[in-house]
Amino acid sequence: MSKAVWSGVITAAAVLMMSSPAFAQPATDSKNVTVSAQVDAKAKLDLGGATTADFPDDDPDTSATLTATAAIAVTVKARTTSSGTVTLTVQAGDDLKSGSDVITIDKLTWTAGGALSAGTMSKSAAVSLGSWTGPGTHNGTQTYKLVNSWNYVTGNYSTTVTYTLTAP
Amino acid sequence: MFARRRLAFVLLASWSAAAPAARAAAQPATATLSATIAPQASLTLSTATLAFPDADPDALGQVPATGGPLLISAKARATAGQSVVLSVLASSDLRSGVTVVPASNITWTASGAGFVAGTLSATVPVTVANWTGSGLHSGSQQFYFRNLWTHPTGTYSTTLVYTLSAP
Repeated sequence: MSKAVWSGVITAAAVLMMSSPAFAQPATDSKNVTVSAQVDAKAKLDLGGATTADFPDDDPDTSATLTATAAIAVTVKARTTSSGTVTLTVQAGDDLKSGSDVITIDKLTWTAGGALSAGTMSKSAAVSLGSWTGPGTHNGTQTYKLVNSWNYVTGNYSTTVTYTLTAP
Repeated sequence: MFARRRLAFVLLASWSAAAPAARAAAQPATATLSATIAPQASLTLSTATLAFPDADPDALGQVPATGGPLLISAKARATAGQSVVLSVLASSDLRSGVTVVPASNITWTASGAGFVAGTLSATVPVTVANWTGSGLHSGSQQFYFRNLWTHPTGTYSTTLVYTLSAP
């Protein structure tokens, strides 16, 4: 067989090999995209729409403690660092007052359900209603109680309490 | 004897050269042409960065990436009948220092033929698009960051690695 014939055979074989799937190597191309996401501190407090807590009058002998007509549904949402301490406090602006008559604020207490803790109101210092570590949501209920006494002067007493949620 | 044959060859050659074209004999020739069409892949992205701004989780449960959709152009030459695949893999979960948010908090919607919606993973490549055979394809991804109250604060980052493969 001549040189020319062998050359043709080799060329044909090469063409067949290069066109066969077995010869072809997968082709790839890659690209990178850098992703960033910003998560900042946030605090959101929801008292379930409640803006008042009312205590109906009652006989001190039958009800030593008056209970507010409705519990307050508290929802806390906070974004902080993994080890950050989220705190919810409450503080009265003043004693319960009716004109010049006063019921000291320490007669106001509360029981708590869910993620909240019970306590006694103060007008001089914020009282903890809850404390948590890290971000998340927390739910609970707060039911106010007022010590009932024959010593109270009749009147329509009121004060304002301020809730503060802090997420560092 | 040899000299006579040589003379005859020379005469014949001279006659052939002087002959009209109409009498010229056809001279067949062959040439082997070969073209190598190997698999090729070319990927183009409209941006190299994606950013998710901070937002109130109650107001925006899914934060879209700023700048709108990521535009993708994929060119592939592949074996007939074979699948061309574009996939994406996060190099790691979203990290801010030692704080980690799973990569699965990033999802995307897709538009364009062959493109599919998905959820990012840091462990397995997720298909962004796939087609059969060679061609040029374009589409887009709109990324979203799942915005939760449970995410610790921080500036998180990771890298997405897109790979276009044509067998």
